[in-house]
Amino acid sequence: MLTSFRWLQELCPIEADVREVAHRITQAGLEVEAIEEKGANLSGLVVAEVRTRAPHPKRDKLTLVTVFDGEAEHEVVCGAPNVPEPGGRILFARPGTILPNGLRIEPRKIGGVESSGMICSEAELEVGADAEGIFIVDAENEALPGDEVADALDLHDFILDIGLTPNRPDCLGHVGIAREVGVLFGKRCEPRRAAGPRRTFAAGASFQADQPTTDLVPSWDGESEPVDAPALPSISIEIADGDRCPRYGAALVSGVRVGPSPFWLRYRLHNLGLRTLSNVVDATNLILLEWGHPIHGFDLNRLRGSKVVVRLARKGETMATLDGIQRTFTADDLLICDGEGPVAVAGVMGGADSEIRDDTKDILIECAYFAPRSIRRTSRRLGLQTDSSHRFERGVDPEAVPRVLASAASLIAELGEGASATTAIDRVAMAYSPKSISFRPARAAGLLGTPIETEESQRILEALGCRLIEKTDSAFTLEAPSWRPDLGREVDLIEEVARVRGYDEIPTAVPRVRPSESGTPEVLRFISALRTAAVTAGLYEAVNYAFLSVEELQKARVSTDVVALANPLSEDRSAMRTSLMPGLTGAATRAQRHGATEVRLFELARTFHPSDDILPREDTTLAIVLAGDRSGWIGGDRPFDFYDGRGLVEAILDRVIGQRSDFTPGEVPEFMHPKRSAIVSLAAREVGFVGEIHPDVGDALELHGRVVYAEIDVAALHVVTEELGTPQGHALPKFPAVTRDIAMLVREEFTAGEIATALSEASGGLAESVHLFDLYRGDQIPEGQRSLAFRVTYRDPESTLTDKRVDKAHAKVAEVARDRFQATIR
Amino acid sequence: MAEPDAVQTFEDGLTKIRGAYEQALRDATDEPELRLVNGRYVGPQGELTKLLKLMPKLPGDRRRELGQRANALKQEIQTTFDVVLDGIHRRARDAELTGPSLDVTLPGRWPMPGRLHPITRIRNEVLEILVSLGFDVADGPEIELYENCFDKLGFPPDHPATDEHDTFFIEGGKPSGPHSVLLRTQTSTIQVREMSRREPPLAIVSPGAVYRRDDDATHSPMFFQLEGFLVDTDVTFAELKGVLTLFLRRLFDEHVAVRFRASYFPFVEPGGEVDMSCVFCRAWEGDKERTTACRVCKGNGWMEILGCGMIHPVVFENVGYDPEKYTGFAFGMGLDRIAMLKYGIPNIKLLYDNDVRFLSQF
Repeated sequence: MLTSFRWLQELCPIEADVREVAHRITQAGLEVEAIEEKGANLSGLVVAEVRTRAPHPKRDKLTLVTVFDGEAEHEVVCGAPNVPEPGGRILFARPGTILPNGLRIEPRKIGGVESSGMICSEAELEVGADAEGIFIVDAENEALPGDEVADALDLHDFILDIGLTPNRPDCLGHVGIAREVGVLFGKRCEPRRAAGPRRTFAAGASFQADQPTTDLVPSWDGESEPVDAPALPSISIEIADGDRCPRYGAALVSGVRVGPSPFWLRYRLHNLGLRTLSNVVDATNLILLEWGHPIHGFDLNRLRGSKVVVRLARKGETMATLDGIQRTFTADDLLICDGEGPVAVAGVMGGADSEIRDDTKDILIECAYFAPRSIRRTSRRLGLQTDSSHRFERGVDPEAVPRVLASAASLIAELGEGASATTAIDRVAMAYSPKSISFRPARAAGLLGTPIETEESQRILEALGCRLIEKTDSAFTLEAPSWRPDLGREVDLIEEVARVRGYDEIPTAVPRVRPSESGTPEVLRFISALRTAAVTAGLYEAVNYAFLSVEELQKARVSTDVVALANPLSEDRSAMRTSLMPGLTGAATRAQRHGATEVRLFELARTFHPSDDILPREDTTLAIVLAGDRSGWIGGDRPFDFYDGRGLVEAILDRVIGQRSDFTPGEVPEFMHPKRSAIVSLAAREVGFVGEIHPDVGDALELHGRVVYAEIDVAALHVVTEELGTPQGHALPKFPAVTRDIAMLVREEFTAGEIATALSEASGGLAESVHLFDLYRGDQIPEGQRSLAFRVTYRDPESTLTDKRVDKAHAKVAEVARDRFQATIR
Repeated sequence: MAEPDAVQTFEDGLTKIRGAYEQALRDATDEPELRLVNGRYVGPQGELTKLLKLMPKLPGDRRRELGQRANALKQEIQTTFDVVLDGIHRRARDAELTGPSLDVTLPGRWPMPGRLHPITRIRNEVLEILVSLGFDVADGPEIELYENCFDKLGFPPDHPATDEHDTFFIEGGKPSGPHSVLLRTQTSTIQVREMSRREPPLAIVSPGAVYRRDDDATHSPMFFQLEGFLVDTDVTFAELKGVLTLFLRRLFDEHVAVRFRASYFPFVEPGGEVDMSCVFCRAWEGDKERTTACRVCKGNGWMEILGCGMIHPVVFENVGYDPEKYTGFAFGMGLDRIAMLKYGIPNIKLLYDNDVRFLSQF
């Protein structure tokens, strides 16, 4: 909400300067996001008088003008079509002056004639939008040549940009902000009466006899001249849906001349971010910015049947709005209709057919209260957010209708030189009843943690407009003001007291936090430990968006049974990931594109899967990718392969579980290499997989070389850790171990793991460990075979082993190697 | 069978060895050479060893005496060997200790660890502080019911308060209403979930991913928040101020000033926003010039850091707590923003690019 500090000062005269006001209202919840000073960037620009005016000798469209700036005459070439007669006053930039846009005015030749200075338009001075012609100082303005423009035109102001929270519709107009400033600075600033129209008439037959009316005169200051009632059609207002339109008022202004607005009005609207159109439309906008209450002007003579009906649309009904777009409505949209059809979308935008035009003479001014939800739904559905809908959907003041009508009628009559009816129709379908709220000072003190004098609370609440109904020792009952729809229960009033006093007034205290029974779930600590383990093992953590495209999932050959977004930002991010693989390998692909030679990444995040429950299933997974070369010591780099992945997974699991994991061939996802991947299990439970990515998938993902990928299912892993429990200590062995080696030639199809397991079992429980210490293929080894050498460590926990026992066990081990694996013992 | 010559040979041998061994051993310049020379006397084929093999041929009356002499000689050789070897070792060590240094600029050989993502890092820092104050950590789904994200938190239906929560909805679910399914827009959903299943006292913090349909230079459609709340009898706004002031000072700097101002979130009242003095220009130090030039706080010395307030009674009513019996406070912050402030990260997009050149900075 752009706010004029000048206007605030008019509505609430206080001593404080703009920075102090900005600070106080910010602290109280009206956050001032920026302050812009107006009129300060016009230094050096002066009013000047036209002395002579002659055509340019060479160029048709240019004029040679001599101006007097209070000190000297300057000859200027001017391109504007509206240079005034000698004696007229204009705004002049002397040579050397810097315009608000940063342009420095220098003498220069235009069509062979030296021009020293520039006669300025509104737009060039950034005080308005008009760039068509130069600005001509009003005859009534008493400015003299040489006067500074900012002073002469009264341009000094500060514009505050206030970021309003949606609970404060009362501050969507200057009257409301002034009221708030008044409360904070201890000065009562209730809205004042409007100046009042110069000419008025009695509505009489202009309103149909059954119409309820309200007298506008008490809201006007000053004397007015009564004139004869113009001959106007007799109007009626009918509300067909009182829930959605509890109140609808209409004032009447007759005999207006639609034309340009005076400069002060255009300047104010310009500073507050609104375009200027015509005096009547500008007036409705000014009333909106003053009261925060949108009004709408209808050309009375274009209202068919001289009636206004507020009703719900019929499904499929259409109307062109002011912006020229044909709109189609549903039965949930509230319309303002005349005798034949819709003329406005209630609270959102007027219709094109009944809008104010240059030839409009008589105006019906609407000021209503519409139900906020209704306006919001229509505005959303139409994708049409206007200054009007913005206010109605937050809730305007239903009780302000007569005063706003009085102000609007007065201003429009004055600017358009018309006459206003002294009464207005005020149809109330559902009367406003103030909310009565009980306030307990002890409760306020208890919630805020600081005692507050009862009198102080009462003073603050009454200053805000609450009306005291009843007061007892322990509580008082108040009625909230009609402009504060956000005040409905005690805590709302407690907040008011707290924020008006200032949150700084509340002391700080550190609570004693009582421990809860359940504490932090173990799995969250476990996840944190997994991350630390992954980093310790050498991985960098990645965080990817949780949504991507189905194509990406397809390309990665992961599940496309997705949870899809109904309203994605783009097709690229329309499906929730079913796997971390596409995102994480994507990071690897980009890293390789950047020339990274070694990529080591992990991500620990959720994947999403449709389920039979109302909410999808969310799985937490640890995913790992290794790509490029594993760096060795000075030039010892070599490409990552399966064993790097396996070692990494072992290291991570060992760190968090304290137990060695098993790697066995098995069914891995389709995107993994069928021959270079393994299932990871712990304590005989599957917890994930590791291996190399299928080369075809790697190509599709634009990865280079062998890329290692692993996934660990965090939930499964957590189950295993729970089962395994806490590691238990054992005494160290008392008796020495004996080691024996066994080397063998064996066919490739037998895995080292299964051989080791078999050898261990063959030892009759005597083997403490079987450890592969050598592997050899190549020279002197038959095709399809390899040489494996195991070191078997024998130990009897109860006695010292004799050679004889070891020999016997080792012979069994060799026998199994020969018999079961057809190994040749070397 | 004694051989008279044997005695002569034996004695000659001892004499010869005695005359030569010491010089020979001392002449050795390194350990292998020393061991080679030593072997010539006492190795398996060494001269002294060979002599000792003659022992049986010596006459019985001399055998003992000659044997003792030979063994004494062997002992002397061993002693000399030890002395020379010590000398060689000492010289080698002195040479290393006084000679040229190792090229310590060559790379280390131990594998390097990776790094945590800055979001994880800041989450850990934040949790460490709050957990030390007694808060438990909780977690909840990222895909949520409308009612948990909005209705139960006191967002009125069709209310502009939802404007800041431009929401992603899930296809196939109900298009609207309390059971429509969406990506949570805030971690405040945890308030509803935890309060619905537990009784006070509750002190909980919950970090996690949230989603909003914003994607521009300063917004990411997925980002991270952390929600904290405390519910018990007699919890006060003063305590909210105390906890957050302490938290921010521990997280950033013990000198930061903290300022609370009124604001609005449907699920808290009184509601507020917290500003702290700018940590970039270190505004608390009072260097006006530095603060004026600061691009982060734009010269005003303050930065918005989090939202907070007393839990609204409507939230308690929605989860079945008695608002007359319990009070509580809640606060929420964007972890991305805190990470960006604390680690000086210039652009939110860097957080989700996963560029190792960026990730390795933390």
